[in-house]
Amino acid sequence: MALLAQSPVADDRSGLFDEAFLKKLEYLHVVSRKIFAGSLRAERRTRKVGSGIEFADHRKYSWGDDFRYIDWNVYGRVDKLLLRLFEEEEDLHIYILVDCSRSMLIGEPLKLHYAMQVGAALAYVGLANLDRVGLIPFSETLHGRLPPARGKNRIFKFFEFLRNVEIGKRTQLEACMRKFVHQEKRRGLVVLISDFYDPSGFEEGLNILRYNKFEPYVLQVFDWKEANPTLHGDLTIVDCETGETKEVTISRSLLDAYKREHEKYCAELNEFCTARALPYFRTHTRLPFDELILEIFRSGGFLR
Amino acid sequence: MNLLAPIDPSLVFKVAAVLGGLTVVAYILKMRRRRFEVPFSTLWHRVLQEKEATSLWKHLKRIISLLVQLAILALLLFAVFDPQLGGQDEDARNVVVIIDASASMKAQDEGESGNVMRISMAKLEARELLRSMSGSDAAMLVRMDGQTTPLSRFTSDKAMLRHAVDSLLVSDTPADLERALRAAADALRERQNPTIVIIGDGAYPTEVVERIRIDESVGRELEPAEREALERDKAKKAAATAPGDDESAASSNPASARPDRSDRDASPANQAEPGAAAQATDIGAIDLHGIDVRYIPVGKKSDNVGIVAFNARRYLADKTNYSVLIEVQNFGESAATRRLVVYNGESAVDVKNVTLEPGQTLREIYPKLSGGVGNRLRAELQPASADEAPDVFPLDDKAFALLPARKRQKVLLVTQDNLYLEGAMLVYDNIQVDKLLPEEYDAQVVGGALDDYNAVVFDDHTPENLPAPNVHALYFHPSGEHSPFTIRSTVSAPRATEVSDNHPVMRWVTMSDAHFDESHVFAVDRARGEVSLARYVRDTIVAAKRDGPRKIVAFGFPLAGTDLTLRVAFPLLLVNTLDWFAGDDADLLTTYSTGRRFQVPMDGIYGISEVEVETPFGDKVRAPVTEGMATFYGNWIGVHQLTARDSGEIVAQLELAANLANPNESNIAPRETLMVGDRALEAPPTFAASPSRSLWMYLALLVVLILCVEWITYNRRITV
Repeated sequence: MALLAQSPVADDRSGLFDEAFLKKLEYLHVVSRKIFAGSLRAERRTRKVGSGIEFADHRKYSWGDDFRYIDWNVYGRVDKLLLRLFEEEEDLHIYILVDCSRSMLIGEPLKLHYAMQVGAALAYVGLANLDRVGLIPFSETLHGRLPPARGKNRIFKFFEFLRNVEIGKRTQLEACMRKFVHQEKRRGLVVLISDFYDPSGFEEGLNILRYNKFEPYVLQVFDWKEANPTLHGDLTIVDCETGETKEVTISRSLLDAYKREHEKYCAELNEFCTARALPYFRTHTRLPFDELILEIFRSGGFLR
Repeated sequence: MNLLAPIDPSLVFKVAAVLGGLTVVAYILKMRRRRFEVPFSTLWHRVLQEKEATSLWKHLKRIISLLVQLAILALLLFAVFDPQLGGQDEDARNVVVIIDASASMKAQDEGESGNVMRISMAKLEARELLRSMSGSDAAMLVRMDGQTTPLSRFTSDKAMLRHAVDSLLVSDTPADLERALRAAADALRERQNPTIVIIGDGAYPTEVVERIRIDESVGRELEPAEREALERDKAKKAAATAPGDDESAASSNPASARPDRSDRDASPANQAEPGAAAQATDIGAIDLHGIDVRYIPVGKKSDNVGIVAFNARRYLADKTNYSVLIEVQNFGESAATRRLVVYNGESAVDVKNVTLEPGQTLREIYPKLSGGVGNRLRAELQPASADEAPDVFPLDDKAFALLPARKRQKVLLVTQDNLYLEGAMLVYDNIQVDKLLPEEYDAQVVGGALDDYNAVVFDDHTPENLPAPNVHALYFHPSGEHSPFTIRSTVSAPRATEVSDNHPVMRWVTMSDAHFDESHVFAVDRARGEVSLARYVRDTIVAAKRDGPRKIVAFGFPLAGTDLTLRVAFPLLLVNTLDWFAGDDADLLTTYSTGRRFQVPMDGIYGISEVEVETPFGDKVRAPVTEGMATFYGNWIGVHQLTARDSGEIVAQLELAANLANPNESNIAPRETLMVGDRALEAPPTFAASPSRSLWMYLALLVVLILCVEWITYNRRITV
């Protein structure tokens, strides 16, 4: 049973990004083009207010502002100096953060593989849309970085990078996100693909992204059997990340309680994201990754 | 509560200590749990935190589980002691139930229709008795027929006792009350409240009943009528044993009173002087003092006519004919007419109607019977007419007898033309005689050409070589070193002063008036089985012996020097000798009576340690053979077949007929009361029922129940 993996998991990534996978990516790209077609300076717009041509908002004039942007019509009507702001149009930065802690080496297929495929697919769509897409694996820290690049011909670098990602130990979202925001000065979309099994909680990590003007996109991946275990007998359960052990005697009531607890944990994450208008997707590894991508497209937000 | 403890308690305690220790150690030692990795143990911790609140219960559950296991062990070990509820009941009885399973219990006079076997009623009574026993009573079942067979040990398990009653079989043997009572008394020795209950028809020899000694408190006093009947019986018995009153006189008098069993079964003690008889009776007394003896009568009718003797023999001179002796007796209270049929095989050779007065014995001799095939004779008593009811006791209405087999022998006569000898052998038409001169014999015997003969007669010739070992030899005047018996000396003009007329060769032979010129004197070694058949003073002049399978008879005198050849005894001697050689020495084959140990001579069969006996019902049993006699107990009437095998091959087969032939058993008149001394035995009381039971079965059931509960709760994770 994958949930109860006792031996080192076969983390064979050689077949992850094969020909069939590429065909699916192309299909996803075509679909994404139907959903969004832009012809601006950049294919996507940021929320950054700057020197664009499309009006965005007003703000009070302050010393040092460029007089050219004062809205004299408003001054004529209400006798106040307001400055006109325009949306700055620039390349969107998309950061795809993939959890590569030990807990992701569980499941059938492995959650890590599933997360990598989803990450690669989203990266491909982003690259094809001429966004700058970067890739950062993480666990207790960031495991390297693939700098943001543009153009779908870069996808193979992503594949290569993902194939060589090292497996970390435990999940520490807060530390990793703090390091990430310090490392990446350009704000943008952050697709966070993880199981969010962090003993210290997921809230602080997501808040750090929010506070630093990143737009988190939360994708929670779980294995079906880890949510619905079918264990029995007397066991010593071992946390695959912390190594912590606990002796339990599995009973039907205990299994039911565990299922309820797992559902509750996922619901907490969902509630947290919903309350903060963060897009949240939850999927198990049995769902084909392209269906998840399409669901993300349909929900909006990723394609603009 | 009391413990029967069928197993040594110290052993049980040792086993308990070891198993208990192992159980506790198994609970103390933690099993090595399987290790499993989970992705996020925090969730499990949260779940288990809720369960931690009940951790005390969890520990308790483990203790409970251990206690349950120990309780199961304790219950099982307790069950081993076979605990009994009710404790040592002072009124608990130890009862030996003697069920009469003798031949008379096959009488069909019970039940409403009057055709139910007595044994069925006896079983019914036995079951009723067992049902009425209290739980603390213990009973032992004993089957009484010619042998005494315990059917159970002392037990309170009524189911087992009932099963033993149901499986009881009746044999064709007479009842041996004495043996059954002695066995019961032995079994009851030193037991509390000993009781013997006899369930039967009371058809037991008065002589045996009279030797029973019981306490004054047992039974009840006789009613005047019963006492009168008892006195009458005693007077009758005294009259029967009076000097000059022989059996033939009694049997020839149809008007004589119905014979008492003791008349026929009179012991030596009864026939001795009164003082000596009393002493002998005391010595042979069946001591039942201290034992409560009870009697449950079975049976209703006494009308029976039975065959009490049946035998047949071939005529010595004419073996194609035979004579038959039949004795029929009427045991009923009224005159009876029966049709008496004698069969040879399936052919009736004689049919006649006989009428017998009450108590009359009819002896019939059928001379010069012939015809029929085979050698099996059967006598049957049938209703005289079709509308007459059948006899209530059909077992003694049939009797069987076997005619001696006629064996044609091939005899070789080695002689220099002896007319007397040859003439005498012509008398015997059951032999084929060939003649050789001595020199011809000596020439042919070496090559084995003479091995086909059954016997060789040597007349004044003592050869060095004899034919095969199974060829018998008869010598007249043997001499020299090859003589079958060592020649000690020679006597002139001897006379046969002593003749062993119990030997088959000398049967019906008189030699006292024969003259002999001379005779060799043989040295007879009894240790080697050699016997002297005729002697002159102390000198053996005729001798016989067995040499392996070969039988040898030697006459010390020459036929030329005696007038024996002119006498009738001479051909008789030859016929006797050849018959003995052929194993046909028992011209009168006595039929066997059931209820005795049959000792059957296996003549001419050597090196066989056991034979197979096929009963009239087709059952096969093994019987040991010792000193040439096959021995087995006769349970059934009819023809038995004995087969001797050597390495799987049949080497010999012979048959014997067994009959009831017991007037005591044919006298089926039931006794309502069994009178011992001046007391009449009573029926047993109905014991008060008590809930006492053997607990081991309930304990075992409790263990099974606990195990089921444990299993269910374990699988539902309640007790884990």
